[in-house]
Amino acid sequence: MSQKAKKLTRRRLLKATAATAGAAIAAPYIRNAHAATPTVRMLMWEDYIIQETVTEFEEKYKARIAPQFFDGNSEAFNKMKAGGTADFDLVMADGFWPRLYLRDGLIQPIKASLVPNLSTAFKDFQPGAYDLLHDKPGGTLIGVMNCWGSYGITMNLDHIAEEDRTSLNVMFSEKYRGHLSTGARFEENIAMAGILAATQMGTVKDQRPDGQPFNPYKLTDAELARAKELLIKQKGLLVTRYQDYDALQRLMRPGLVWASPEFSEIYRRLTRARWAGEVDFEVAHMLQPKEGGLGWIDSWQLSAGTTNSEIIELSHHWMNHYVSRESMKRVAGIGVAPCFDVTDMLPEQEVKLLMLDRTAELRGLHMFDQPSSPEKWERVWSEVEAA
Amino acid sequence: MTGKRRLKEHTRFLLMALPGALFIFVFLLLPILSIIVFSFWRTEVYELYADWNLDNYRVLLTEPTYMIFLWRSFTTAVVVAFTCLVFGWPIAYFIARYGGRYRLLMILALAAPFFTGIILRVSALQGIMGPVGAFNMVLMTFGMQPIEIIMFSRVATGIGLVYLYMPFMVTAIYLSLLNFDFELLEVAKINGARPWRAFIEITWPLNWMGTAIGLILVFVPSMAASVTPIFLGGPNGASFGSVLGKQFGETGTWAFGSAMGVILFAVSSLVIYLVWLSVDLQRSGFTGKEA
Repeated sequence: MSQKAKKLTRRRLLKATAATAGAAIAAPYIRNAHAATPTVRMLMWEDYIIQETVTEFEEKYKARIAPQFFDGNSEAFNKMKAGGTADFDLVMADGFWPRLYLRDGLIQPIKASLVPNLSTAFKDFQPGAYDLLHDKPGGTLIGVMNCWGSYGITMNLDHIAEEDRTSLNVMFSEKYRGHLSTGARFEENIAMAGILAATQMGTVKDQRPDGQPFNPYKLTDAELARAKELLIKQKGLLVTRYQDYDALQRLMRPGLVWASPEFSEIYRRLTRARWAGEVDFEVAHMLQPKEGGLGWIDSWQLSAGTTNSEIIELSHHWMNHYVSRESMKRVAGIGVAPCFDVTDMLPEQEVKLLMLDRTAELRGLHMFDQPSSPEKWERVWSEVEAA
Repeated sequence: MTGKRRLKEHTRFLLMALPGALFIFVFLLLPILSIIVFSFWRTEVYELYADWNLDNYRVLLTEPTYMIFLWRSFTTAVVVAFTCLVFGWPIAYFIARYGGRYRLLMILALAAPFFTGIILRVSALQGIMGPVGAFNMVLMTFGMQPIEIIMFSRVATGIGLVYLYMPFMVTAIYLSLLNFDFELLEVAKINGARPWRAFIEITWPLNWMGTAIGLILVFVPSMAASVTPIFLGGPNGASFGSVLGKQFGETGTWAFGSAMGVILFAVSSLVIYLVWLSVDLQRSGFTGKEA
């Protein structure tokens, strides 16, 4: 190498810097065709990302899982509507939402033959008993069930009187001022208040404009107005609206919050803590209040934007893998009730805690749905928040 | 200077300015323009319709609900900005005047909380100020009542925002003080001015530019804050920013959310303009002219 070549000039330095910067920027986009790993991109609830299950799948299928997370159905639905079908291969939803996704062309049918583990689902979630995962009863499969539950009320039995333990009224009772909390999700807050409002107004059994039975997500204007009144009254009774399970646990465990609607995860955590002697109060979960309650079955859907046959097949494999009994046992371990029969793999105490012996009760619950008018509900919720 | 050379300089200037201008156009102006356009459209069941109307603005400007959110956010931002000013000035002054060779280190230390994300920092505050947070637990351990005003309230939101944005205020004032000639204070003292008089007559006006920038840097994000009110504000803490955020997430009412965004932008711009009017560039030494 000549002496000239070794000399560091400003021009040379700039060239080298530009080349390095260019290479650094381009590197993530340059793929070795042989080393390219097929990736299944999913939009899901964070709780369900279990590393052991992911690793098993990635090793078995030589594929990669790329999850992104959301909190509520409408948030995920909006993401999919705003171009998300090109960004995700799988999306999770619950209640009526899979049919809404299908209606808007955001998902595609699922080949049941590629998900043989579906056969191990509890009979209460099989077609015929539960049809919201088909485009119509007996129709095409559009979702693979995952877990189920209610948006019931977890209560500290040291403080909640026995006569209040079966009614939604507990969440609106002056007796418990300063010791109540609710989630931040506006749809479920309004729907739950809507059930109580319709019960108080005696309109639950009234003929509905769409000819369907009462649905707390399709309230009449009068019911919505009453629900708003209830929610405004409830505001003064609340400590806060919790953002996540950990926040609720921090409020319930020391006994500050005595009752809160939730997906029964905190009920299970506190019960386990009670068994371990870490908390000294009894806790119960009101799965279905006497006025009616909200319930859900969450499921996996295949995005309409996924057209690569390899990814479509891998997505089916993922769903089948995820709902396998071994994987579902792990899901039970994080405190969520699987739709698949793993009762013989769990101690009896856990079966009861996960309510796997009460799957039939899901039928009495109102499934999570889209508000009849998100605009109207937004206005109601804003009025509650501003009041 | 020759015409050829002048042209070359212009070309060079254009080449250097173009990437920045392009970046600003694509990532700042275009989104703002699209937000303005969407604000005149309509959303129905998560669908955006190019149906031009003024309805979103009518609702925003006539229904008290949204004015309450705007007023809440405005008052919170004003209080937070002035609290940061009151606490930030002595800190910046101390560092600039007495920090010696540790000045830079002290300023960098102020940025330490920024090494983590905002949610982590706000959650940590929740852990300190919450009903079962460290602060109240200590009080209760000694048999005292917990302080309710700092638990899930607008005061808690304010404390959180002061904590989050205080470094902006201190840094802006500190940078201004770096260019300030402290000898002037000695001159004032020799001429019989008391310290507070010297501060009011010399230090404050000559550093008003930095102070104004600090006020803007704290006011604007506080006005738009959404995460802090959600985590610390409690059931009565919803802010304009948190309600705006909901429009683009849960409720999917993008057109209405866009109109809220335009209002927020307008209010923030107006405040920046008013602060700007108060700045005397010549007195602050920022005339843009070469010395």
